[in-house]
Amino acid sequence: MWAVFKKELKTYFLSPIGYITIGVFMLMYSIFFYLTTISYGSVYLGDLYYATARYGLLLMIPLLTMRMFSEERKNGTEQLLLTSPRSVSSIVLGKFFAAVTIILITILFSIVYAIIISFFGDVTIPTLIVTMIGFLLLAMAAVSIGMLASSITENQIISAILTIGILVAPWFLIDMSEIFSSIDLIDKFLGFATGTISIADVISLLSITVMCILITIILIKRRKTVK
Amino acid sequence: MIEVKNVTKKYGSTVAVDNISFDVKDGEVVGFLGPNGAGKSTTMNMITGFIEPTSGQIIVNGNDISKKQKKAKKDIGYMPENVPLYYELTAKEFITYMAELKMVKRNVRKQEVQEVIKEVGLEEVQNKLIRNLSRGYKQRVSMAGALIGNPDVIILDEPTVGLDPKQITEIRNLIKKLGQKHTVILSTHILSEVSQICERVIIINKGKIIAIDTPENLEKATKEKNSISITVEDPKDNMQNLKEKIKEIETIEFKRDNNDGTKQYIVTSSSDVDLRKKLFEVLPKEEIVIFELKKTETTLEDAFIKLIDKAKENDGIEKMQKEEVDNTQENDQIKNNVEEKEEKK
Repeated sequence: MWAVFKKELKTYFLSPIGYITIGVFMLMYSIFFYLTTISYGSVYLGDLYYATARYGLLLMIPLLTMRMFSEERKNGTEQLLLTSPRSVSSIVLGKFFAAVTIILITILFSIVYAIIISFFGDVTIPTLIVTMIGFLLLAMAAVSIGMLASSITENQIISAILTIGILVAPWFLIDMSEIFSSIDLIDKFLGFATGTISIADVISLLSITVMCILITIILIKRRKTVK
Repeated sequence: MIEVKNVTKKYGSTVAVDNISFDVKDGEVVGFLGPNGAGKSTTMNMITGFIEPTSGQIIVNGNDISKKQKKAKKDIGYMPENVPLYYELTAKEFITYMAELKMVKRNVRKQEVQEVIKEVGLEEVQNKLIRNLSRGYKQRVSMAGALIGNPDVIILDEPTVGLDPKQITEIRNLIKKLGQKHTVILSTHILSEVSQICERVIIINKGKIIAIDTPENLEKATKEKNSISITVEDPKDNMQNLKEKIKEIETIEFKRDNNDGTKQYIVTSSSDVDLRKKLFEVLPKEEIVIFELKKTETTLEDAFIKLIDKAKENDGIEKMQKEEVDNTQENDQIKNNVEEKEEKK
């Protein structure tokens, strides 16, 4: 897992994708920092993370995940990976954690805003930490969905659009039926943004993540027999 | 040692590889030969564990590739067709990554990477991005990826495609060198390559093995006639009557007039007679001066074409037989129908 992780993380910064993802995330943080705190004179950071999560998920996660397996498949480099003695699980997990690390970097950078706020009022550290944990769990679930989409097509655009579709559709489907709230990721982040950890939210985000990773592994293994 | 036992690969209803079996002994260099779309790459992808056979078994050094994947794959170095590489890495970074994937131990990794770089001749470009390398160098990077970790078995899928003649000779020499220490399987559709490098040839066509043998034996086995190319000065045109003088000659074929008073002929006989001695004795008596006399060798190319044609013929016969069977069945049906109708009446 470590070998794939290291190489993937390196690749994010050899191509512009890593910088663009982090850069645009920081831009979003900054814009929402102004809109949700400065312009209201508020010291509450929950809305900043909620807004960034919402639009970050929509725009940035698909960009980050679209190449994960699609590119390998198109270039034929998956042949190198799958004929190496490494297991499919370790390859999938290596790629997964590399993408999550990019998001983690943006989360760490976002501490800047908490530091700025601390000059004007009190930042409740536990609340902030809960929000960040929630943000990470949310990103993990979204990355796993993106990775799954990337593993079923060799076309990066299709993979990105599929990811956006899966992530965004529940926002509108909720209006049709409450049932769809169970697959709406951003809905599960709402609690974290206010500083409350709900076991139900943690479990559902984690289970979506684990499920998508498992399906990705199964799909890649299965392709060996049908390919 | 690689054992391939009754392996079949189907894609839907098309059969890409049809019940093939062979083994490759330790230290052997084996060539995989066949026209495009014969199933060479499919077979190689199955041996390396990239795709799973529909049925059958592949054993690499005693480990079944689908059951003991990790152990089996550790013993294989694979250079796939079309040289897939990570273009955003440098040559050295790529080889290091391959070393990590192949589980080369950390303390010897750097050293092994350097050794492989030296072996394939990449020292000068090791720090360049693969994106910017020429085709020949890309091929070498890919080969380095196959060599790293010192695997027992090296599988090369069309290693010389798209190279210039100088690069081809270099890569071939490299493969020959590899053959001294490793078991090598390479696929190609260039025949001279096989006769130069390989100890054994597997000819495959439409997913079926049609011959396994040494290049020499294949050439011999498919040889039907001895033919001799002869260039002579023959003012009286006595060559035409030669058949009467030497009874063993089957045909005399005029090939070309060299426009300097000499003419070239091809003389054939059955494969158990060598005409050369007789020609030397008889021709001077007929006032024919020999300028050049050479036994023409059958090449692997001839052998290959003959074998493929033979396979086609067999296919044709099978099809015809099948059609005949179908026809008789149809006839029977028509008969039955007629009889039924008559009965109804």
